[in-house]
Amino acid sequence: MRKAVGLFLATLLVGVALAQGQVDPREEAKRQKQLLLETAGILPTELIVAQGEELFNRKGPSGKTMAECDFGLGKGVLEGAAARLPRYFLDTNRVEDLDSRIVTCMTRVQGFKPEQVKRSEVVAIAFYIASKSTGHRIQVRLLFPEERELYALGEKLFYARSGARDVGCATCHVTYVGRRAGVLPYADVLGKDKSWTHWPAYRYSNDQTWTMQDRIRACYGNIAHPQPALYSQPILALELFLAYNNNGAVVEEWPAFVR
Amino acid sequence: MRKVLVALFALALALAFALAQRYLTEEELKRIQAGGKAYAEVFVNQRPDQALCSIHRNRLPADLLPKFLEEQRALIKYPASGKLMGDWRKGGAIFNNLQKANCFSCHYGSPEHLGGDVGPSLEKYGRNRGQSEAVQRYTYEVIYNAWAFFPCTVMYRFGAQGLLTPEEIADVVAYLLDPESDFNTKPAVGSR
Repeated sequence: MRKAVGLFLATLLVGVALAQGQVDPREEAKRQKQLLLETAGILPTELIVAQGEELFNRKGPSGKTMAECDFGLGKGVLEGAAARLPRYFLDTNRVEDLDSRIVTCMTRVQGFKPEQVKRSEVVAIAFYIASKSTGHRIQVRLLFPEERELYALGEKLFYARSGARDVGCATCHVTYVGRRAGVLPYADVLGKDKSWTHWPAYRYSNDQTWTMQDRIRACYGNIAHPQPALYSQPILALELFLAYNNNGAVVEEWPAFVR
Repeated sequence: MRKVLVALFALALALAFALAQRYLTEEELKRIQAGGKAYAEVFVNQRPDQALCSIHRNRLPADLLPKFLEEQRALIKYPASGKLMGDWRKGGAIFNNLQKANCFSCHYGSPEHLGGDVGPSLEKYGRNRGQSEAVQRYTYEVIYNAWAFFPCTVMYRFGAQGLLTPEEIADVVAYLLDPESDFNTKPAVGSR
């Protein structure tokens, strides 16, 4: 099924490449999504959400499913939970986003060993849990000292210039919003584009399923800057900074469908 | 005696280190370490000029500008041959390579790739400007170290950061300026 979708997308992409430059990328994503829905009958996002739901209800070595875990609103409560992440968790004494909370659940509650946690499964489960926050508002707080400290670090990383290319997030995503280097214009990630609400997402141009962690790592990678490790504090810091600056934004659709 | 000297030297070094403006605190750097060795290293080794641009969010206060510009100027080195225009064909390969100089991503004007609009358009750069020594020098120096002209700009400091050698930069200058160069003879991708 995935393969068939991929092949179909490849054909579509020729059309995208030809049309490039003239079309608003967001409108184009909507068009591609509609096309895919009409021809395949189902979206890749829906397939992955279904896969994530299965994994969520799978019993771990401890015999427990993920319904035994607290994603911030109480044991097993998923409705709106992702829209309130990242946040500080008392049981782990640290700030966690959706990805890291899933890993915590799998290792601490379900009894998986850390090396048994597959990234593709974490992403699928993130797609499923995030789907329960469609229509909710982003509501991230800076209540605990750990949240405030991580936010401050995220802000600093966002404005930092570093590496051999002197790069930094703000240098493009604040100074050159709307300008283009490559195919897409730089998003106003702190402002009107509400980029926090665009992930997790399916990227139809590359047939990829990404959470914000993957998105941030790719940002660094695209400009030849070393990438922070998955689930690491610098990624969480940037996420908390981005999410807090998008507070109040309504999640149009999670998982999203993007170029 | 030697021990005292070593201790004094260490003290002076520590003092100089503490006085240089740092952007990230030790506490923050510790958290960044969790991101992995390669990631942490670029922040641990952040240069003082990078720290300054970070602290001021790319807009340096006026009183810092003269010293900053002077320091950036001092970083510029020239090819041993003294020639600021090299081989335009080699320069084109550098200009149009995403992994190498990646110029086309931000600048419009390449006959090979559709350019972006983060930087100014360079369409037919040499045709409009000629090849005078002043134009060659200016073009070379901006590519070598853009911060000597535009403090904290997004443009990579190709020479100052060792991304390109002086000879490679001279090749790019030729690609932009040489009247025979594809850059000046062929239409830019996207031009009508």
